[in-house]
Amino acid sequence: MKNSLKTLFLFVALLLPGAHAHAHVGSADVYYEGNAGPYPLFVTVRMPEVVPGVAKIEVRSASPDVHSVNIVLLRLTGPGSKLPSTPDVALRSKQDPQFFVSELWFMEYGGLQARIEVDGAKGKAQLSVPIASFPRQQQPMAPWMRVMGAVMLLGLTLSLVPITAGIAREGTLPPGEALQPANRRNARIATVLTLLATGWAIYSARGLWNEEDAVYARNVDLLKPPRVEATLRDGNRLVLRLASPLLLPVAGKGRETVPVNLEEVIPDHGYLMHVFLVGMPGMDKVWHLHFDRAEGGAFSKQLPAMPAGEYQIFADVVDKSGYPWTLLGKVKLPAIAGTAPVGDDSRWEGARYAAPSSAVAVAPLPGGGRMVWERPAGPLQANVGTSFKFRVEEADGSPARDLEPYMGMAAHMVALRSDLSVFAHVHTNGSVPMAALDLAQDGLRASSDASDATGMAHHHHASLPASFSIPYGVPSAGDYRFFIQIKRSGQVQTAAFDAKVQ
Amino acid sequence: MSATDTVSIAPSLESRSLASVSERAIAISWTIWLAFTGIVVFRIGSMVDVAWHKSVGRDEFWTPGHSTMALGGLLFGLAGLFEIIKATRAGASERHDGSARIMGMYGPVGAFLLVWANLAMLFSSPFDDWWHKTYGLDLKFVTPPHLLLMIGWFTGQAGALFWLASAINRSTGVMRERLGRMFVIVAAIHLMFLPTLGLVGRSTLHTASCYLAVALVIPASMIATGRASRLRWGCTLVGAAYMGIIIASIWILPLFPAQPKLGPVYQQVTHLIPPQFPLLFIVPGFLADLFLQRTESRSSWLKALLIGPAFVLGLMAVQWPFGDFLMSPASRNWIFGTAYLPYYEPAVNPWQFKVLEKSTGAFVMTLAGALAISVLTTRFGLAWGEWMRRLRR
Repeated sequence: MKNSLKTLFLFVALLLPGAHAHAHVGSADVYYEGNAGPYPLFVTVRMPEVVPGVAKIEVRSASPDVHSVNIVLLRLTGPGSKLPSTPDVALRSKQDPQFFVSELWFMEYGGLQARIEVDGAKGKAQLSVPIASFPRQQQPMAPWMRVMGAVMLLGLTLSLVPITAGIAREGTLPPGEALQPANRRNARIATVLTLLATGWAIYSARGLWNEEDAVYARNVDLLKPPRVEATLRDGNRLVLRLASPLLLPVAGKGRETVPVNLEEVIPDHGYLMHVFLVGMPGMDKVWHLHFDRAEGGAFSKQLPAMPAGEYQIFADVVDKSGYPWTLLGKVKLPAIAGTAPVGDDSRWEGARYAAPSSAVAVAPLPGGGRMVWERPAGPLQANVGTSFKFRVEEADGSPARDLEPYMGMAAHMVALRSDLSVFAHVHTNGSVPMAALDLAQDGLRASSDASDATGMAHHHHASLPASFSIPYGVPSAGDYRFFIQIKRSGQVQTAAFDAKVQ
Repeated sequence: MSATDTVSIAPSLESRSLASVSERAIAISWTIWLAFTGIVVFRIGSMVDVAWHKSVGRDEFWTPGHSTMALGGLLFGLAGLFEIIKATRAGASERHDGSARIMGMYGPVGAFLLVWANLAMLFSSPFDDWWHKTYGLDLKFVTPPHLLLMIGWFTGQAGALFWLASAINRSTGVMRERLGRMFVIVAAIHLMFLPTLGLVGRSTLHTASCYLAVALVIPASMIATGRASRLRWGCTLVGAAYMGIIIASIWILPLFPAQPKLGPVYQQVTHLIPPQFPLLFIVPGFLADLFLQRTESRSSWLKALLIGPAFVLGLMAVQWPFGDFLMSPASRNWIFGTAYLPYYEPAVNPWQFKVLEKSTGAFVMTLAGALAISVLTTRFGLAWGEWMRRLRR
């Protein structure tokens, strides 16, 4: 009996489906610094690991006159972007009255927005933060949970058998009467039928479970950074084409997907596709190029002069729903004969990544100037939203006076982990793509009369201050290289900083 | 058992003398009441839960619906447990006589099912929680933890029906009638649970598939429980109770304010959204009772051959024109509630009939299938009803 129990136990435990584990990909949390009308806010969206799931939205107000913060989640575009649900009232921190936290259910995949309504001494104001919602991983079932599940399933199965046998044996037996052989036969039939039925039920549930598990794993895969194939044409034209069609899964709709057409991407900072070609190993070279549409949904670019070598490709696009995709690829290039990058295109070459030994953070810039990273004391912490503060100096140490907006922003930053598992393209207003932000602001203007309620930090001044800050939180511990790009006197300049993140 | 205790059931006529019955205070045992209350409370909880999902959307562990369901499950689980403890400790007694011996314990078979149902439902809760953490909040109903909950709930209903049926079968007169009425309520709750009813909505009332979905399960349940209630108009009453419960919820649920807390929102919602207007089961129930009374001495197959098609066609005769009414503006009021739409329904036109059968031929074939199946499900219902009429423990 003991052995057969053990066998049955193992059998039931085996019926529970196996778990898939996926590596953490990229940088899912959203960091954003912007203004809701008169109130400057720092917004952090801590994305759930699984979607549908709960995200934590943290709002820090720089001004002390904010009384309340309400947050509501909408789609970024299309149906579902108009009617808001009841806003969630963010909880105000007791220790820090300028800090508000809200927990919101993210039910869908794709381009969403968090609409933040602020009420304070200067009246009401709104801000919309675009968010890319996607499931990241599946958690395997904890061993104790597997054991408990097996025990319960076994207990329920084994106790149901004597109950149904009892019903068949004695249910219709008049009170006081003795059991007849027919009653016992009925009990045996009931035992067999119950075992068959429970076996069938467990088997079907297992099928259902496996299917659900497979669908979820597929959704996680579909929303991982897609692969591009890179081919060199005519000696110097690089063509990027998706390795497989882009599909956006629909949460809760099984294997249903919505095709994403890369011919319909929307411009981000005035460009359809931002491509970063990173020299490997060591991240010692970076080209930031802007690709144009080519035939059949592909993108291409006449390459500038480049040395031969292996390059990692990170290509950023925003689809028409406002969902950002980073396409990944690799390419081995021969030496390319060409001109220097022109316009907003840029290049940087320097030393290979080296773990920094001290907190000194000064990077040289072309023309004798330099960029200083005003690092706070102590190591960088993973998953902590901070302002990366930088200062640009002339060769003589005076603040630079010739900074211009680079594609609409004071600066662009690329955070790259040395194993390339993290890539994030962020700006002075955070980690949200400008194209998605524009969509969010359009929605905000449509929904309210306060058309000036924009969080966008447009910098259209002739010359910008020499200091700027970039809100971001590094998603995981490891070795990172940060590329900071600015524009001075019409020329794009890049500085690189290395840091170890704990 | 002390002298002041009420007897759980009156002794059966077969084994006890009529005189001894009248000498005792005949009252329904509190454990039966507790089980009955548990079933009703669970049903109220699940109706509130469904309304919550249609109007508020956001799911938490302790929503009003979930809490009420948990309470209901606990009540009927405890009812079964108390009855088993009482019967097992009773020694030689009527309670003991009316018990089955299962795993060394004594009790009505229904009580064992109720305890098992409660355990299955209890276990489904942490399982469901894990499911949400692993695959996200479920956007669809059929998941393994929900299936376990459903199996538990189904077993609970069966447990209550069996327990009540055995009590009915061992009682007489007023007692039998009272138990019969309780049985009818549980039967109506059971009817609401049946799976294919989920496929039947207002927009399908002019399809043959709708009547096929009804024929697949409803005659079996309604005829079995109507018969086992031992009431003259059992099937009619089950149909009436089913309609009454749903209509009451249409009138009561919208009194509670509610707002969507989950996006995207497609419909403006300001209060709990009730279910759609019930199917007019009172009519086929009445026809079934009528036929059953007229064919008492005939074979079960002949009964099934008459009652099944009468059931489906009778329903269709009233439901088809009533469907037109439900689609008309005249029904968009608090009485019929056809203007209540869940927040997540991006309905282009919610008052339009669906066409499921592409041709007249397909319609006729589907309807013929419904009629044929109704004979089989009616026959099954008759057999199941007869079995419940024989239950004694």
